[in-house]
Amino acid sequence: MNAPNSALAPVLKLEGITRSRAGRPAVRDLSLSLEAGQILGLLGVNGAGKSTTLSLIAGALTPDSGTIRLQGQDFLEHPELARQAIGWLPEAAPLWPELTIREHLQAHGRLRGLVGTRLKDACDSILERLELRDLSRRLAGVLSQGQRQRLGLACALLHRPALLVLDEPANALDPVQVVALRKLLRELAAEGTAVILSTHQLTEVTAVCDRVAILHEGVLRHDAPLPADQHAALEKTFFDIAVHGRAQAA
Amino acid sequence: MTLFAVTRLELRRLFVRPLGWTIGALALAELGWRFALLLQLFLLNQVKLAALPDGPGYTDLVAVRLYSSLITGSPLPFGVTELALLVVPLLTMSSLASERSTGTLPLLFSTGLSASRILLGKYLAVLIWLSLWLLLAIALPMSLAHGVTLDWGKLAAATLGTFLTLAVLGAVGVACSAFASHPAIAAVAALMIGIALNCINLGAQLAGVNSGFINWLAMSTHQESLLRGLVSSADIVWFLLAMAVALALGTQRLAADRERG
Repeated sequence: MNAPNSALAPVLKLEGITRSRAGRPAVRDLSLSLEAGQILGLLGVNGAGKSTTLSLIAGALTPDSGTIRLQGQDFLEHPELARQAIGWLPEAAPLWPELTIREHLQAHGRLRGLVGTRLKDACDSILERLELRDLSRRLAGVLSQGQRQRLGLACALLHRPALLVLDEPANALDPVQVVALRKLLRELAAEGTAVILSTHQLTEVTAVCDRVAILHEGVLRHDAPLPADQHAALEKTFFDIAVHGRAQAA
Repeated sequence: MTLFAVTRLELRRLFVRPLGWTIGALALAELGWRFALLLQLFLLNQVKLAALPDGPGYTDLVAVRLYSSLITGSPLPFGVTELALLVVPLLTMSSLASERSTGTLPLLFSTGLSASRILLGKYLAVLIWLSLWLLLAIALPMSLAHGVTLDWGKLAAATLGTFLTLAVLGAVGVACSAFASHPAIAAVAALMIGIALNCINLGAQLAGVNSGFINWLAMSTHQESLLRGLVSSADIVWFLLAMAVALALGTQRLAADRERG
């Protein structure tokens, strides 16, 4: 990213984002920002608007109103920014079943503008990092759910994005893989990658996130830092919002 | 360019799927059979034809007839055009419909590519596959080029006509795939539209009407001119127009998909 103010600007800044789906508002007047190295946990019950929010941030959907700034630049005016700056793992890791793991990475790399030795090095590096090297010639159609999820994550990380958007990344992972995922996210944050992690699991958020946002019926009801050992407090806040629909002050 | 990244991805998917290989190979085998029959007919009538001034030769009776049954007038197996009516929908049915059903379409949208570039990328891949298939089909009559006299101009015009026909059918197939939620629906729709485009003027033809809007509308009218060696800009414009309409409709549908989410 080569915007003049990109070094000072937050990695992501949403302002007044509204988006309707199937005739009803899925996200309403959503504003939040994310700095480099932060891990934001996005919580909410089913239908709260989490996936819509992530699709908007990833550039797969456009908002009805509001602005999205990516490293200081208007994302809606420059949709190509997503190509380099965002890595997205949608829910259930959509894959092309007829392609191998390596072919997936190559295709994603090319779509993100990587070519030649840069592409090859990026593929080798991510295969190593996510322990997929031995499976690299296996077809995506025959992978287990956990392996699919890891491949989806590898595709999202391949081009070393500034912002990583993950929708239920721990789905179908075994406990060992969950721990490895948490470690990876912490490493990425330490390297300066901003991460948004949507999940149903409060334990995932308390284990890895340093900030939490709670969406309810498309509205951001809570957005605050998450101090260590605050699982009980987060649980209370979440259930207050989700069950009783009470707005919480940030 | 990311457009070519989409093309490359789609080509890879076309070449690794057994369906592409199977239909390509079966269609070529069938064309080989047609070629052998056309050659046999040509050899049987060679002496009689040689006596005719300006009589048809190898190009008219074998090479061009391999492309289409339009001017064969005999119950031979399908030519390239008739096979394409079946092959192209099978080839294109998954190009966008399967992206939709596997959930990979939003991933393509998230790369910042516009709907038109995604569709064009996919279409280019289909066009490359069809061009290779056509090249292999041309290789059959060309294999005897050293022993016969080929009318290169007529063969080039006929090849152009067949390529444009494949290009239109490919565009229709990709557009149908953009509209359909399942590949099978896309294949059936593309087959029906292809047949309709080819045969819409059949009634008029049977009634002896060889002009008018209905004949202009039919793809066979324009292809037939090219198969006879007549290259007219009006015919080429018709093909380009048909491709543009199909691709524009497909793009519009894809853009609406992105908007709807």
